[in-house]
Amino acid sequence: MNPMEEMRREEEKLLRTDRLPHVWCPGCGIGITLNAFLRAFIRSKMDPNKLVVVSGIGCTGRAAGYVNVDSFHTTHGRGIPFAVGIKFARPDLNVVVFSGDGDLFAIGGNHFVNAARRNHDLLIIAVNNFTYGMTGGQHGPTTPTGAYTTTTPYGNPDRPFNIPHLAISLGAPYVARWTTYHVNQLQNSIYHALHKKGFRVIEVISQCPTVYGRRNDMKTPLEMMHYFQKNSVRKDDASFEELELKYNGKIVVGVFRDIQGIPTYEERYEDIIRRARK
Amino acid sequence: MSEQNTKSLKKRGKVTIDEKRCKGCWYCIEYCPTKVLQVSEHLNEKGYHPPKLVEEPPNKVCIACHLCELYCPDFAIVVEEIK
Repeated sequence: MNPMEEMRREEEKLLRTDRLPHVWCPGCGIGITLNAFLRAFIRSKMDPNKLVVVSGIGCTGRAAGYVNVDSFHTTHGRGIPFAVGIKFARPDLNVVVFSGDGDLFAIGGNHFVNAARRNHDLLIIAVNNFTYGMTGGQHGPTTPTGAYTTTTPYGNPDRPFNIPHLAISLGAPYVARWTTYHVNQLQNSIYHALHKKGFRVIEVISQCPTVYGRRNDMKTPLEMMHYFQKNSVRKDDASFEELELKYNGKIVVGVFRDIQGIPTYEERYEDIIRRARK
Repeated sequence: MSEQNTKSLKKRGKVTIDEKRCKGCWYCIEYCPTKVLQVSEHLNEKGYHPPKLVEEPPNKVCIACHLCELYCPDFAIVVEEIK
């Protein structure tokens, strides 16, 4: 059988098909990201029984309910602490946190910062759609300056989080950013990240035409996709200023950090246990 | 054109659309390199217009690139390669 058809058949096994069609709006990028993640996982030929998908609250949080592997839908912002607990109890498992920007960087911001600092062995897939989609399009910590949302009708005065730069500054060994337009690159990036160790962060710029796009002159899913298509530039050695997301500005994508050899927290902890037993 | 290119062009695919899962975002129609899909007139049970295949196949044929499958957010498209 053709490898792509084989992959599609395997993908159906990893999905809870009885729950489809899913709750996400027409053209939502979370479906594309979940598709890329499942395909990357199938390509890696890892054991699905050793995969745990953890997600928080929000639109992206629903992803844990659609995968047919061990998954957990945690309370708001606590995806990373829960995943850290799984990794401590069962270091042989492959733990993936699949969550949104509001969950990981607003209420869960502190957990993200400290887990990255300690270099826990987790893969973080952060779907950034610039807004709080599920609650009606309020502005969040990743909304670009000047963007219009329900709570900032005259433009957002805040500066957004620069997620790749934040992760790099905390020493995360793998940091990448893609948009949902880059389906193949995103899949390859997740595939490579699955084989690495440490706190790996992949930010996926996703479209939310329902509550973000329609207030910012991108009413249809395709208009948002065209925006990503026209404005994304690949630059792996981008500076802080270039990595910042500007309203209607360029989106710099790429793999910004890819290093090996940093001991993970789990390894260092085992080392301490060994020394204490002597 | 090199030999490898002509070989890859000869690949043909069969697109199957699961209309129950489709939500009518039309990414598949936009990003199909040979434009074999178009918007259908009928509605599915959720009230969206799913894509359908273009009827005149001699010019527009599926080359089994699987891009529509990758872009579909609703897991609604399957492309099979025809030998």
